[in-house]
Amino acid sequence: MFGKVLVANRGEIAVRIIRALREMGIRSVAVYSEADRDSLHTMLADEAVCIGPAASADSYLNMSAIISAAAAVKAEAIHPGFGFLSENAKFADLCRQCNIKFIGPSPEIIDSMGNKSEARNTMSAAGVPVIPGTKEALYDADKALSEAERIGFPVIIKASAGGGGRGMRVADSADGFRDAFNAAQLEAEKGFGDNSMYIEKYIKKPRHIEFQIMADSHGNVVHLGERDCSIQRRHQKVLEESPCDVISPELRQKMGETAIKAAKAVGYENAGTIEFLLDEDKSFYFMEMNTRIQVEHPVTEFVSGVDLIKEQIRVAAGEELSIKPEDVRIKGHAIECRINAENPSKNFRPCPGTITDIHLPGGNGVRVDTHIYSDYTVPPNYDSMLLKLIVYGKDRKEAIAKMRSALGELVIEGIDTNVDFEYDIITSKAFEDGDISTDFIPKYFPEYVKGAKNL
Amino acid sequence: MLRDIFEKRMGKGPDFSRLKRGVNAEGDNDARNLPEIPDNMWKKCNFCGKPILTADVKENLYRCPKCGGYFRVHAYRRVEILCDEGSFQEWDKEMPFVNPLDFPGYKAKVDVTKEKFKLDEAVISGECLINGERTALCICDGRFIMSSMGHNVGEKITRAIEKATEMRLPIVIYCCSGGARMQEGIISLMQMAKTSEALKRHHDAGLLYISVLTNPTTGGVTASFAMLGDVILAEPKALIGFAGPRVIEQTIRQKLPEGFQRSEFLLKHGFVDAIVKREDQREVISEIIRLHDKDLIEKSMKTFGRVSDLDEAEISADGAVNAAGAEEKASGKTESTAWQRVLISRDPKRPTAKDYMDLIFDDFIELHGDRCFGDDGAVIGGLAYFHGLPVTVIAQQKGKNTKDNILRNFGMPLPEGYRKALRLMKQADDFRRPIICLIDTPGAYPGMESEERGQGEAIARCLYEMSGVKVPVVSLVVGEGGSGGALALAVSNEVWMLENAIYSILSPEGFASILYKDSKKAPEAAEVMKITAADLKKLNVIEKIIREDEPASSENIHEIAKLIDEELSDFLARYKDKTPDDIARERYDRFRSF
Repeated sequence: MFGKVLVANRGEIAVRIIRALREMGIRSVAVYSEADRDSLHTMLADEAVCIGPAASADSYLNMSAIISAAAAVKAEAIHPGFGFLSENAKFADLCRQCNIKFIGPSPEIIDSMGNKSEARNTMSAAGVPVIPGTKEALYDADKALSEAERIGFPVIIKASAGGGGRGMRVADSADGFRDAFNAAQLEAEKGFGDNSMYIEKYIKKPRHIEFQIMADSHGNVVHLGERDCSIQRRHQKVLEESPCDVISPELRQKMGETAIKAAKAVGYENAGTIEFLLDEDKSFYFMEMNTRIQVEHPVTEFVSGVDLIKEQIRVAAGEELSIKPEDVRIKGHAIECRINAENPSKNFRPCPGTITDIHLPGGNGVRVDTHIYSDYTVPPNYDSMLLKLIVYGKDRKEAIAKMRSALGELVIEGIDTNVDFEYDIITSKAFEDGDISTDFIPKYFPEYVKGAKNL
Repeated sequence: MLRDIFEKRMGKGPDFSRLKRGVNAEGDNDARNLPEIPDNMWKKCNFCGKPILTADVKENLYRCPKCGGYFRVHAYRRVEILCDEGSFQEWDKEMPFVNPLDFPGYKAKVDVTKEKFKLDEAVISGECLINGERTALCICDGRFIMSSMGHNVGEKITRAIEKATEMRLPIVIYCCSGGARMQEGIISLMQMAKTSEALKRHHDAGLLYISVLTNPTTGGVTASFAMLGDVILAEPKALIGFAGPRVIEQTIRQKLPEGFQRSEFLLKHGFVDAIVKREDQREVISEIIRLHDKDLIEKSMKTFGRVSDLDEAEISADGAVNAAGAEEKASGKTESTAWQRVLISRDPKRPTAKDYMDLIFDDFIELHGDRCFGDDGAVIGGLAYFHGLPVTVIAQQKGKNTKDNILRNFGMPLPEGYRKALRLMKQADDFRRPIICLIDTPGAYPGMESEERGQGEAIARCLYEMSGVKVPVVSLVVGEGGSGGALALAVSNEVWMLENAIYSILSPEGFASILYKDSKKAPEAAEVMKITAADLKKLNVIEKIIREDEPASSENIHEIAKLIDEELSDFLARYKDKTPDDIARERYDRFRSF
């Protein structure tokens, strides 16, 4: 096992990792920017090294400063957290060259999964389902129709050069396909000066489902169930839960096995996440693989009972997984809300500033992962996430009740937060009824999408 | 503060977690697998001081990935960057050591340097292909005693030039030097003369020399081969100068300003044709070689008109339609007055010369500077292709907005603008490229600095030298043709005007104030001065009028550019079989007739 590990991150995830290290009897080293002298991770670590000015590029993304810090304090490993350098193949490679264990997969895997089209090709070749679509550009409606029939309706017609919904049409059946194709193509030609089109299977009311994978260097791979991250605002996750209530044990087994197959296909090591789109008809398609620990990992920790950060460190040190596939039990229900320093009535504009008063909820099945405290000043330089509130109940109903109660208790004064927005979601009937898909927020909370709601 | 509370609680400093765990924090490092940063993994950038990855530097063509600063490149690395793979054949690799002054310790120093850098001298020479273009090539290597020029450096360069002359190849020299090789004293000085002599012969043989100035190019090298290129390119921010900055500072007892003697300074002062980024050098150099290829020029000149010969029937039919259309249109529209045309020609929204150039010519490479004093923004010039034929294009350029107009001086050239134009015309003459001039100027700039630097002399020199040029020259007035400032680019075989352009001895306002003592009578003056294309055609001052169905604008510029394109093709077809002497004599006769 390592004697000392450097945490190349800040905020709540750095605090989370430092606590895990302390519990494991490993010395922790924090790195911090000039803006983070008083940040909690700087105070909690056994050692702390300043690595540069406030701007991320000069500090938390500054590879030379972080590597030199690791060498200077003689840290044997670096935990990159999420964001920053966590999916930077070059950084992982530098660590390897400097005899520092990067707590994550190899640079080669980071690189290959970072390239979205390469990742999809790799997965497709390994027998993991990907969204069916055309590989070559289409120009002719008749040819396109035969492709659409091969793929199966409904399909979405997209402009190769497209974006922003222009040159895009959904066709439910062969009737009217030609008109839709021609209309989209005309728009594409006018909008982008390019009339090459492609077709993909259209997923109606998709859910964003991701499977947590954990793999060691001895070839063992387990999945720890799924997370439903469909509640998103402009592709930013807002609330996550595990398990997903529309996934049956059989489907979970099937998707989990697929996720394991995907991880094995690339010889994966350490924690990773396989993202799928889940169709209403329960077909699922590989989207991408995240080669790091995720923000929402605590929901999985609650329902699986596995400490993912500790497991990451153990696996990186060459140990075998502490859990065998047959021992994995998903029990109860967990929900996480991300609390950010942002103002929902001003188009979710980030609101840095000083926290004047704080009250954190607690009690049975309530977990708070945060780096904020009373009098803490949120610097404007970084991500606006302040706190993760995670609750655990015996079932979804209890978890929702617990989250309502906990959000009701949560007080953060002095800066604007999205607490009320989260509360609106968790108390909505639509959420309670489980009418969830990636267009949940635009559908039920359109005023938040426009940013016009006056709170 | 939370930190204080933590400290107080533990009583033994902030490191409370260690006490909790009871781990011997300092002692547990010994047997561990410790991190080790490999040697040479990181470098410190000597421009921005930031640490950079050695691997990144190589990938980034030896530039700092953080600040973009240009590091020196080893000669053989340069070959890899520049030449087609495996095409470089080295000449005179090993030269016997010479020590003309019997300088003590010199041989030992050279031997150590040779061994250390695996280089025989401070320059390598040979022949190679650059994007398929065959050329002789010399590259100086700054690691070898600061690439100072001793006998062997001068000898290798001179031999390479002589060999290029003999083989009728162009030569490219990548210059880098701290100056003379002190250990060789006066013999080092003689290398300046020797290399320059060889370049003169190379030039007189009608062959191209491109010099590329890299950091640093100083001392005797600057005062010899580095500054003698037909085309002089530089890498960004390279130090280029005769006297070193320290010597200058000591002499004048002043601190030199930021950017002094850097490539950008030389560009501004007219001594560098272009600054070319490292990743573009291969493309730009090979393109310049191609644009100076006399065989290509001769061959593509011959093809002009061949297409129209074949399609003659069709074209004449088109022409007839056009003519009929024009007449119809002409009868339908009320003819503009001269004063209206003056205003149209000055309209700030009227397309500028560059707008036409972009539509008519391909792959324009702008060349800057008069090699004397400066680079004038009101005159742009350079090399381009016209339907595959290399040509020299020179234009007077007005700005599109206030900021641009400050750079362009509102289209009023300074003497350095005319000297640049003349330099480019002479180069075109040497390499047999036809010359196309686009004219659009209110007049040569009337300012103090113009007189200080000899505006009259600069214009006169243009008229004088243009008369003897032996390649076809055509000038087109696209806007204002303001007096001597316009004529300096219009001693041509043919002069054409756009329908709404004007060409005059001076502005109607100036004319009115001299003759009528009232500049407000400019509209009247415009009528009597005979300054419109139609009037000038009648006076035989111009050969052709290019039709503008509507005054030229961004809307119809494509149509007008197409007409110009057709006329230019026709012009070149008419001139392709004329001898150089005939071309010059016809031009002489054209102006002799006035």
